[in-house]
Amino acid sequence: MIVCVAVVGHQNNPLYIQSFTEADDALKLHHIVHCSLDVIDERVNNPRKSGPMLNETFLGLLYPTENYKVYGYLTNTKVKFILVTTDLDVRDADVRNFFRRFHAAYVDAVSNPFHVPGKKITSRTFAERVSNIVKSFGFSSG
Amino acid sequence: MANYLAQFQTIKNSCDHIIIAVEDVSDLWPTVKSGFEERLPFKTACLNNKTRNAVFVEKLPAEFILTTDSRLRSRSPQEQSLFWFREPYATVVLVTCEDLDEFKTILKPRLKLIVQNEEREWFIVFVSKAHPGNDQATKMAKKVYAKLEVDFSSKRRERCCKLDTHGPEPNFWEDLESRIMESVRNTLDRRIQFYEDEIRKLSEQRFMPIWNFCNFFFLKESLAFMFEMANLHEDALREYDELELCYLETANMPGNRRDFGGVDRGDDQATLLNPGNKPLTQIVQDDSFREFEFRQYLFACQSKLLFKLNRPFEVASRGYSFIISFSKVLAIHENMLPFCMREIWVITACLDLVKATTSHYNDGLVAPDIEKEFYRLQGDLYSLCRVKFMRLAYLIGYGTHMERSPVNSASLSMLPWPKPASWPTVPPDASSEVLEKEKTILQATPRAKHFGIQRKPLPLEPSVLLREANRRRASLSAGNMFEIFDGSDAMSRMSPHKTSTVTMSRTNSSPGNFESSIDRPMRLAEIYVAAEHALQHTISDADLWKCLSSVNEFEKKFLELSKGAADNYHRSWWKRHGVVLDGEIAAVSFQHGNFDLAAKSYEKVCALYAGEGWQDLLADVLPNLAECQKILNDQAGYLSSCVRLLSLDKGLFLMKERQAFQAEVVRLAHSEMENPVPLDVSSLITFSGNPGPPLELCDGDPGKLSVTLWSGFPDEITLDSLSLTLMATFNADEGAKALKSSASIALKPGRNSITLALPPQQPGSYVLGVLTGQIGQLRFRSHSFSKGGPADTDDFMSFEKPTKPILKVFKPRALVDLSAAVSSALLINEFQWVGIIVRPINYSLKGAVLHIDTGPGLKIEESRVIEMENYANVAAETALDMARTDGSPKDSPVENFEQLSSQDGSIEFPDWANDATSILWIPICAITDELSRGSYSVTPQRQSIVDGMRTIALKLEFGASHNQIFERTIAVHFSDPFHVSTRVADKCNDGTLLLQVILQSQVKAELTIYDAWLDLQDGFIHGGPGDGRPTIGFFRLVISPISRAAILFSICLSKTISKDEAKELRPESILNIKYGISGDRTVGAHQPVAVESTQHEGARQDLIFKSALVLQRPVLDPFLAVGFLPLSSNGLRVGQLVTMMWRIERLKQFEENEDHQHNDEVLYEINANFENWMIAGRKRGHVSLSTKQGSRIVISILCVPLMAGYVRPPQLGLPNVDEANISCNPPGPHLVCVLPPPLSSSFCIPA
Repeated sequence: MIVCVAVVGHQNNPLYIQSFTEADDALKLHHIVHCSLDVIDERVNNPRKSGPMLNETFLGLLYPTENYKVYGYLTNTKVKFILVTTDLDVRDADVRNFFRRFHAAYVDAVSNPFHVPGKKITSRTFAERVSNIVKSFGFSSG
Repeated sequence: MANYLAQFQTIKNSCDHIIIAVEDVSDLWPTVKSGFEERLPFKTACLNNKTRNAVFVEKLPAEFILTTDSRLRSRSPQEQSLFWFREPYATVVLVTCEDLDEFKTILKPRLKLIVQNEEREWFIVFVSKAHPGNDQATKMAKKVYAKLEVDFSSKRRERCCKLDTHGPEPNFWEDLESRIMESVRNTLDRRIQFYEDEIRKLSEQRFMPIWNFCNFFFLKESLAFMFEMANLHEDALREYDELELCYLETANMPGNRRDFGGVDRGDDQATLLNPGNKPLTQIVQDDSFREFEFRQYLFACQSKLLFKLNRPFEVASRGYSFIISFSKVLAIHENMLPFCMREIWVITACLDLVKATTSHYNDGLVAPDIEKEFYRLQGDLYSLCRVKFMRLAYLIGYGTHMERSPVNSASLSMLPWPKPASWPTVPPDASSEVLEKEKTILQATPRAKHFGIQRKPLPLEPSVLLREANRRRASLSAGNMFEIFDGSDAMSRMSPHKTSTVTMSRTNSSPGNFESSIDRPMRLAEIYVAAEHALQHTISDADLWKCLSSVNEFEKKFLELSKGAADNYHRSWWKRHGVVLDGEIAAVSFQHGNFDLAAKSYEKVCALYAGEGWQDLLADVLPNLAECQKILNDQAGYLSSCVRLLSLDKGLFLMKERQAFQAEVVRLAHSEMENPVPLDVSSLITFSGNPGPPLELCDGDPGKLSVTLWSGFPDEITLDSLSLTLMATFNADEGAKALKSSASIALKPGRNSITLALPPQQPGSYVLGVLTGQIGQLRFRSHSFSKGGPADTDDFMSFEKPTKPILKVFKPRALVDLSAAVSSALLINEFQWVGIIVRPINYSLKGAVLHIDTGPGLKIEESRVIEMENYANVAAETALDMARTDGSPKDSPVENFEQLSSQDGSIEFPDWANDATSILWIPICAITDELSRGSYSVTPQRQSIVDGMRTIALKLEFGASHNQIFERTIAVHFSDPFHVSTRVADKCNDGTLLLQVILQSQVKAELTIYDAWLDLQDGFIHGGPGDGRPTIGFFRLVISPISRAAILFSICLSKTISKDEAKELRPESILNIKYGISGDRTVGAHQPVAVESTQHEGARQDLIFKSALVLQRPVLDPFLAVGFLPLSSNGLRVGQLVTMMWRIERLKQFEENEDHQHNDEVLYEINANFENWMIAGRKRGHVSLSTKQGSRIVISILCVPLMAGYVRPPQLGLPNVDEANISCNPPGPHLVCVLPPPLSSSFCIPA
């Protein structure tokens, strides 16, 4: 189950963060997303280490923890998408597909002339679309 | 082969170096042993690794063992083949011989016997005992050795070397080592080959029923061990890696129903670094090993090799992944393992790993990025350990001592509860402990957040523990589910103090009912106690158990782990992780009253969150920081925190909480602070100029600047003062100017509009700078600009300076123009309307005051009102006049006309004149005492225009506060209506003179002459009857502007002048003209302003113009005549002498000048230009001339003309005679023609 998706701006500021848990514990997901920026920073700042990953937007699994997984995606404009899921066996292809659709939704949202770049995304349409993508995660390609 | 495991283990433990056998044929070993063993371990060795590549090994350990040694002798052939790796790698044959025959007959056959075993790598050391002095012996030894070499060495391989016991043999040891190495290498190669072949054979059977992992392991580990003995750790590691892979495949094969292991006492402690912890024989099972122990064993072997390779980083990295993956494996088998075994194992594994890797790690030996990665891994290990430790602590009831922070929640609430087969039960004798726990649960009150912030605490548990534990038990006992799921227990967990009565009553009613707890759900305290007992049972490490034995110990360990994680993260790339953990440490410091440390750490956390705009997280930590600061009495910090709290997103706090923040700010600002505290409120109070174009001001004008302020305070707040700086956009050196509003301003929440007085500014354009102000003792400052909307929540990025100017002050320019309305002359000595055009140039003249300062010779009529009207009116009228020809009436604008009165020469303008051009009519009289003078027409005397010029100094004060001043002096031209000139028109025979008086109109107005008369001066009388006035019938005489008229007067000379009568001697005649004027004041001269208002309008107003005329009596007749005699006709030439001649003739008898002594002499004087003439003779002198009428004389002067051209000839003057009495011929100056000199030819010689 995807518990959280987030868009983080190129100054590491949260642009959109949505949790999909029933409990009132969004803050811990904020924490997970925020801390995962460490990993993204590390990968971006160490091109030698990421090597062939450099040209790819999909950053793969960021956190190999026991209980949840964090995936990352970095757009060309250095906007990060972060996905937190509690599914422990997720196929990379599914995540890639998710991020591709999410990216498309994001691009549409920020193309809105009333959206101020670098500000939080408040579009309700975007939120709906994201929620649909989250719901269909794992089913669309599987 | 499993039977040999124990032996294998012993061998491995006892033998960790290669063995070199010594075949001591001639009993030489005792003498050479020390020399040989000094070489150990071998300093360098070149061996081949598994891929047959040469590897240099340093410090290869080895041991020399005699073949007769029991260790080698006792081995059975089977043992030898099983543990081949421990067999000798080389055989050294020690011989000596001093006799060739002996060699041939005894030694050689024996040697042949020894070396015939092909399996062995051997070589012969010939020891020569010959003394160097004994030539015979030496020679013999050499011969024997040569023979030996011939027999045993081949071209391909040298197998002999010679040691002289008495002589220096420097090459021997090198030879020996190379021989040994060669043998070892060959043996190793052969044995690797052997093992590989065996392993391959076994691998091929992998999927057959006869496959036995133990055999495979035996071979593989033998090989690995052999590599390890040969210091080829890299290869050994590879073998272990392959072994692990193979094992995992085997272990994960379906249908594999083996014991997992891990149920022994002490298994809860990880043995990741100690391969010998448990003998393999104990874990062997059928044809394989128990997974729990064996995988740890493999990892231990690998880590041992990695440490030998000095790669602690890799140990940490592999270790972390191993712990994670092994933890998963433990989870699968959790129902068979002791309670919380998995958590405990992870804790011990992490701690072991951290300890081992840190002790092996040397700073600075690896690349910086590896180093960072290493510390990150350390941090990860600590962090993982910390989480598991917290979980254990939670299970035994220390949850109330844990901060419900996002980091703890994230790690704990997503970590599932342990899943034992059955949840532990309360031991029968633990009732007192249960009561104790119960008490602590009741006493524990959740720490109230500062400011009364109410938040639902973040979960530290994946689901309610009470329910989970009971469910696990219920699944066994099928207890009464109703009570479990009624939810009240869950409630009591969340807020124990609320349902305390329920819990208490239960405790009281059934104090001894713990034994039968299987029938009813356990209470929380029971769960804690049960878990505590179970853990105590599981944990074999006394130290670890001590850490959980009390809250204090728990906190100590917790702090140690958190600090370990944080410190290591700080040294890695993962700063955020580190800082967040600092926050955890801060929470503990706070609880222990170490507020200083807590505040420092909280500040770091807040800075991290604020810097990147994670407001939700910031809102969680910032109140804690504020509380610390409050306790520490750090007022500045506390205020700043309050302001930051206020400036966070409004949705993050309730209105009530935000009001509490504000109340704190106001309370501090007004009461407690001793010194003013500066504070940045940029995120809370933002400001912007009003939308629309900037305020435009003219230079020097004050204004009012209206600014929009956004207040982020939840309630109205009163600012004691406020000031705002303006910054010039294109003028950096100009300091910012502050606009101050000292009055207190109450800011409503949200948008406020304030107006500030703006003093005059330098020209330029200005933007808003900084807002500063004061609330009580609090000096705040805001740099933030809102962009016309409510303050942005994530404004950490919006500190862009607005480029939009708020104020423009123009460069100085003309704002108004004052000019005279008419340029033509006005009547002098009469009150005339002087028009002043006031023309505002895009600037309002509201409230303008005009000061009029008339210069000398001007007088303002104070009693008269001043008139003001639209200039457009005047212009339109003129235009209308002009337009009459084409007949189209034009739209006349709104007419304004007003009569104003001046006070002390200043006039206030009416409002309608603010923007329109207007004209101001002021009655002014130019006063002159001089009488106008007529002139004689023959010598017309031009009147200077300056005579009638008068100046009026005007000073206009206008602008908002009369700050603008415009000064101008305008010139107004006054003149008499007429200019009078006279001439004698005719001189009659009877002595009557006809005096023609010519009147030239000097004004642009129609003048009407009603009457004119002449008051004559002495010596003249009017001719004819009457007073000499012209006939009345001639009048009225109308004179158009700038035209002329003339009047004739007949006068004659009076013969007699009675001196008595002539008391009032009039030196001049006065011409009196009574006239009227009809003109337009917009054009020029006009009817004078009626001074007295009583005079009725229709009455004709006659004006009198007086002009003085000087009449001269006629001149006497000349009594001398001077004539210039004609020159010779052939003309004058330069340089040619010429005689000038004048004739003087007396025309009258000279009788009247009696006083002349020499009246028969006349003084003459020649006047000539000496550049043109050279005069010879007397230029001045007396000539005698008879006083008789008709006497004459000629004066001749010799002259030479000097210049050619028309020149004035010399003139004769008579200085003593009045000019009037001389009649000249020619009468005026004249010219003569002088020719150039003739060409001189005197120096020209003919050819």
